[in-house]
Amino acid sequence: MSAGKDDLLERLLEGARCDAAAGESAEAYERRGTSIEIVEDAEGSRLSLVTERGFALRLFRSGRTAFAASPPEAVDGLPDAARLLLGRSRTRRGVRAAGPVEGGGAYALAPPPALDEKSARALLASFRSDLLAAGEGAVSLTEAILTTGARTERVATTAGRDVAFGSETATLVATVTGRTGAGSVSARLLASSARPSELPLARLALHAVDRVLLPLRGRPLAPARGDLLLDPNVAAPVVGRLASAFFGDDGDALLASRTRDGRDAFAAPLFSLVDDAAIPGGPVKATHDGEGTPHARNVLVSRGTAVGRLSDTAAAVRLEQPPTGNAVRRAYTEPPAIGITNLFVDPSAGVPPLDLLRALARGFYAAVLLSRPEVDLAGDRFRLHAAGYWIEKGRAREAVSETLVEGRLSEFLRSISAVGDDLRFVPSGTGSAGAPTLFVPKWKGA
Amino acid sequence: MSDVVETFHQDAEDAVRIVSGLLRRGEGGEAFRERRRSLSWTATEAGLLAPAFAEERGTAVRLRRGRESLLVARDGDGPDALREAVREASRRGGGSPFLKARGLGRARAETEGPRDDEEARAAQLGAALHRALPDPRGISLTLRVARVTISRAVVTAKELVTCGTVRRLEASGLLRRAHTARPFAFQTSAPWAPALDAFARALADAARPVPPHRAAEGPVDVVFSPGAASVFWHEAVGHPLEAGGGERGSVLTRVPRAAVAPTGVFVTADPTRGDLPGHYLADDEGTPARPVALLTDGCVDGQVTDRRAAGGASNGHARCGDFRRPPRPRLSNLVVSPGRASREELLEACGNGLYVREISAGHADPESGRFTLFVESADLVRRGALGAPLGPFVLTSDVLTALRHLHAESGDVTHPASGLGLCVKGGEAVAVGGASPAILIRGLTAVRGRA
Repeated sequence: MSAGKDDLLERLLEGARCDAAAGESAEAYERRGTSIEIVEDAEGSRLSLVTERGFALRLFRSGRTAFAASPPEAVDGLPDAARLLLGRSRTRRGVRAAGPVEGGGAYALAPPPALDEKSARALLASFRSDLLAAGEGAVSLTEAILTTGARTERVATTAGRDVAFGSETATLVATVTGRTGAGSVSARLLASSARPSELPLARLALHAVDRVLLPLRGRPLAPARGDLLLDPNVAAPVVGRLASAFFGDDGDALLASRTRDGRDAFAAPLFSLVDDAAIPGGPVKATHDGEGTPHARNVLVSRGTAVGRLSDTAAAVRLEQPPTGNAVRRAYTEPPAIGITNLFVDPSAGVPPLDLLRALARGFYAAVLLSRPEVDLAGDRFRLHAAGYWIEKGRAREAVSETLVEGRLSEFLRSISAVGDDLRFVPSGTGSAGAPTLFVPKWKGA
Repeated sequence: MSDVVETFHQDAEDAVRIVSGLLRRGEGGEAFRERRRSLSWTATEAGLLAPAFAEERGTAVRLRRGRESLLVARDGDGPDALREAVREASRRGGGSPFLKARGLGRARAETEGPRDDEEARAAQLGAALHRALPDPRGISLTLRVARVTISRAVVTAKELVTCGTVRRLEASGLLRRAHTARPFAFQTSAPWAPALDAFARALADAARPVPPHRAAEGPVDVVFSPGAASVFWHEAVGHPLEAGGGERGSVLTRVPRAAVAPTGVFVTADPTRGDLPGHYLADDEGTPARPVALLTDGCVDGQVTDRRAAGGASNGHARCGDFRRPPRPRLSNLVVSPGRASREELLEACGNGLYVREISAGHADPESGRFTLFVESADLVRRGALGAPLGPFVLTSDVLTALRHLHAESGDVTHPASGLGLCVKGGEAVAVGGASPAILIRGLTAVRGRA
């Protein structure tokens, strides 16, 4: 990375030569990032150190937009590249450069903080130890990848916005293998957090052991009517798949069809869905989105009723509401798009999960997902391939190696009769999705 | 963009000296340069929106010593980026590199944005969309369509090796009709005009209403079209024969030279096939590309390797998603020898079962051998003839059982697969291809649903 201060971002914005009288505006973006990745596998250990800086420019004119991005050495060509594309863009209402934000001012972008390789290696060792202890000799770690990163970003527009902000991420990807007399199963598991020290290592180890040993130790269960208890590890990915229904005005038709234009509830009365980049325990911790808009707590479903949307600047104009700060840039080379930060089911009405387990008269406790959940918002269907335990009178009677939980998504969401207080997050899309334990009585497909 | 490769060569002499000065006795390593350029559009049923141009340039310096390896990557693909990466790698590795420049010393600052001919390309892409969806009423489409060009070169201690320049058309996103939504993914490395034709055909196929019939769950005999068969070979044989599969290896590496498939089955990983998306001149460690036999006459024969897994004797399959990631043994193009049966003969041999036309995705667990194929388009087979089209479903089995139940005779024509484009493993996508004849496998398990 080219350290120190320079005026590349200012040059980029000036180079856009926007004609305000003709309705033109521009947004310049800079990202600096560093990351350390440690990979440990059977062949040894790999250390990767990545340092990167990139720029992007968006031009806006009368509802049209064009985007161009490059590393610093090619930044002077971006205005011409964007202008060439702008003429071919189609119009969409609301597309414009964002104005000033409170607390914004001219900033010089500081380099991201240095990363600590020693601590990262200690975390990997700790996870390996947790896993081996939990696996009781039947589980081994085939590969572990720990990535920690930090970045600083700056957004400046010709409409007066100039804001800089920073964030950190940590991700652990573990490939785990379970072996018993019944055979072997391997699986890849993922956890993320804002900082390495916040990675839920012990929890991931327990989850990993269940993921590879339940399919070997249990028996298949034919779908049958019964109570259904979804562990947060199972419920959270399903919650993440609901997100697109709340992206700007694009999900309007979908939400309308799911709720018969608002006449029906989206979910049960104790189900509230929130997106919040500042929730304690949330893996995403950031102050601003990719357009420099401050993040906020956004309630999307309140007591079962759909009440909110996630938006970027353009969608906010179309929705006639303030932007929610959900314009996400996955990389400097991609234009911002609406995405989630920490999307979660509010657990404030929750009870201890053990109480939910005791309330389960006869049914299935889904402890782990065996494949990605199928959630079809348009078709109003869902399907979970899960392993867990068959429960009778609050006690585990038998391990279940695999079963299918499926049915109408709207019916499932409206049938949730209790939630736990054990909110947990999993990586999902551009952010993370979280859920507590969910209880659905007498589900016909379980 | 081929001039990018020439640009990489401009400081070749200096770059080679710097890399050779970095390496100490007992160390292996190289530098890697990449430039990636994409012009993308958001394609909707109303046309093309929001054009986006992006260029990435990166340099990585890699060192290997025993079981340890180090990668230092940074933005930029010129001499300055190389020096900074070497300096950092050396600081971490404890060496003292020779960084004095001769001749070309400054970073190249040339910029190549979208060219004027992109206007014509955009118009052609718009026309292809119109051909695919002449009447878009009732359809909602959100696709990212991109024309991507990637140039790569490796600087070893002896020379600068060109990996090549690949161009491809990528499209991915979601197609919605009333009460149904299906993911759409397409990729081709064909020249622009045929690529657009193929894209339009694939999109038109995807936009057809989903048939109401569903495959019955349970064991089933399946004839795979050549395109679908390529995905099967990729998942069931290709992935288990990528080196570096852990201490116990994979279900196939644990049985070297064992006869796992009928005689006459030859499966080769072949990055030299220039007509397939997984083509390259040299891999991402600079080892020249070469074909590697994976199954020979039905027997496990070899596996694809990189330098780390093969102890230096790589067979040219070290591949990385981008300059930030270390290379690993990955597949390229999987080519399967043809047999002598016509499609009708395979359907006849199948009797009652399924004819799978398109597989949208798949995954395999090399350790246990379980694999899953997500079928997007298929027909019933009744008494050796094609019947009703079927909605999406899933096929699953384990590798050894499926290969054992592979019909001895396969199709007489080998077709490049259009549905096989990007292989994602560990979050890293590399371009792959396949060419296979149609095949018949008995006793796979059909499960309803689609991921």
